[in-house]
Amino acid sequence: MIRILVIAISVLLFYLEPIFGLFSPIELNNDFYVLVPRFLIIYLIFVSIYYDRKRAIVYGLFFGLLYDVFFIDIIGLYSFIYPLMCLVASYTVKYIHQHLLVSSILTLLLVAVVELLLFLFYTFIGIKTMTFTSFYQHNLIPTMIANAVFLLMFGWAFKYILLNRFNQKALLLQK
Amino acid sequence: MPQFFSNKRLILLLVGMIFLVALISFSLRDRNHASLPEQLIKDVVGFGQSMFSKPTQYITGVFDNVESLLNTYDENKRLKVRLEDYVTLQASVNDQRLENDELRKIVDKEEDLRAYNPIQSTVIARNPDQWEEKIIIDKGEIHGVLENMAVMTAQGLIGKVILTTPYTSTVELLSTQNPNYRVSAVIAGDQEVFGLIEGFDEQRKELILKRIDNEYEVKVGQKVTTSGLGGIFPKGILIGEVTEVTTDDYGLTKLAYVKPAASFSILDHVIISKRTITPVDGSDGENTEADLREAEGDGS
Repeated sequence: MIRILVIAISVLLFYLEPIFGLFSPIELNNDFYVLVPRFLIIYLIFVSIYYDRKRAIVYGLFFGLLYDVFFIDIIGLYSFIYPLMCLVASYTVKYIHQHLLVSSILTLLLVAVVELLLFLFYTFIGIKTMTFTSFYQHNLIPTMIANAVFLLMFGWAFKYILLNRFNQKALLLQK
Repeated sequence: MPQFFSNKRLILLLVGMIFLVALISFSLRDRNHASLPEQLIKDVVGFGQSMFSKPTQYITGVFDNVESLLNTYDENKRLKVRLEDYVTLQASVNDQRLENDELRKIVDKEEDLRAYNPIQSTVIARNPDQWEEKIIIDKGEIHGVLENMAVMTAQGLIGKVILTTPYTSTVELLSTQNPNYRVSAVIAGDQEVFGLIEGFDEQRKELILKRIDNEYEVKVGQKVTTSGLGGIFPKGILIGEVTEVTTDDYGLTKLAYVKPAASFSILDHVIISKRTITPVDGSDGENTEADLREAEGDGS
C-alpha cells in the first residue's frame, strides 16, 4: 500500500502543478506576481533525503522528461535539473542533521536554485529578457513564499510517509 | 569529495554534459513541430491532465457562481440602464445584417473573411513555470485545430495555436516576448489603418502595434481588431484599444500601444476560430509566405 503511495504522490503533484499554475500570475496594485508551483521537486528532494537517492533521481528524470515534452518543448532542461537537485540534496544531507526543519530549509534553498538556473537559461537563450531585480521581485520572492506555505502544510506528511516506507524496506531486508 | 570525481565519473559527467547540450540545442531548433514520440507523450499526459483540471474548474466555477450571485443586484441595476440602448442597437444591427446579406447576394459574393466556425475548448494547463506565455487546451487535430489559428475568449483575441497533437494543442498568448510573433491588425475608425502587432511591453502590460502608415491619423481610444489579411485569422476579432501613439525608432512609421481587451491572467474556456474561407500560407506568425510568393511568380 505505502509502496504505491510513494509514486502515487509524485504523479498527483505532477498533475497538480499546472492546475495551480492556472491561478498565476496574481495581480496586486497593478503589478503581476508570478507564483510557480514547485511541488514535485520539493517532494522529490524529500524522497532523496528520507528514502532513497537512486529512486529520487529516476523519478526526477522521468517526470522531468514529461515536463519538458508536455510544457516547454525543450528536452533536457527539467530532466537535467530535477535529478541534479536530488543528487545535491542527498550529498548535502550527509553533513547536516536530518531534522524536518533543516531539510525544509535545504529544500527551499534548492527550489531557489532551480528558479535561478531557469532564469539564467531563459535569459541566455533569449526567450525572455528580464533584469535580475525584476526576476527577484516578481518571480523569486512570491514563488518562494508560495512553496514555503506548501512545504509547511505537507512537509511533515511527506516525511512520515517516506520514513515509514524506508523502515518497511529496511525490515524486509533484515528478514 | 574524494571519490566523487574519480576518472570514470568525470568522463561520464563530461559525456552527459555534451549529450545534454546537444539535446537542448536540437529541441530548441525545431520547437514548432512535435515528433511522433513527443505527440504520444503530450496526448497521454494531456489526457491525465484533463482528468485533473476539469473537476478543479467545476469547483472554481461554483465559487464564481456564488460570487456573481452576490453581485447580482448591482449588476442588474447597471444592466437595466443599458437595456434600452441595447434594443435599439439590436434593431439596427439586424437591419444592417439583412442589408449586408442582400447586397452580398446582388454582387454574388458568398465568402466572408469575418466568418468562422468556433471550436469551444477548455484550458487544461498553463505552463507552470511561466517563463513562456503558453497554455495547453484539450482540442487537437482530430477536432480540426490547425497551427496558427486564432484563439480568443469572449472579451477578445488572446493568442494563437503554435503546436498541435491529435488531442491537445499549445497556444502562445499575445503577451509573449517571442520576436517572431506577429498578428496582422487593423485600427477601425473612419478608414481602416493597417499595422502589425509585434511585441508586448512588460512594464505597461500593453501590446505594441507597429508599422502604421504615417499618413493616417490614429487616435487614442480607437479599437484594434484582426485584419484577416495574415492568411489564417478571421477578420474582426477584437484585440484591444489604442492608449498611446508615437513614432517608431526610425521615425518612418507610427507605433501605437494597445491595451488588450482580454485578460491573460486567469483563463479557463477559450474559443478557437476556424476560418470558413480557405486559409493561405500568408505572413502571420511562422508562416513561410509560400502562397504569396507563388502568386507573385504567376504575375511576372
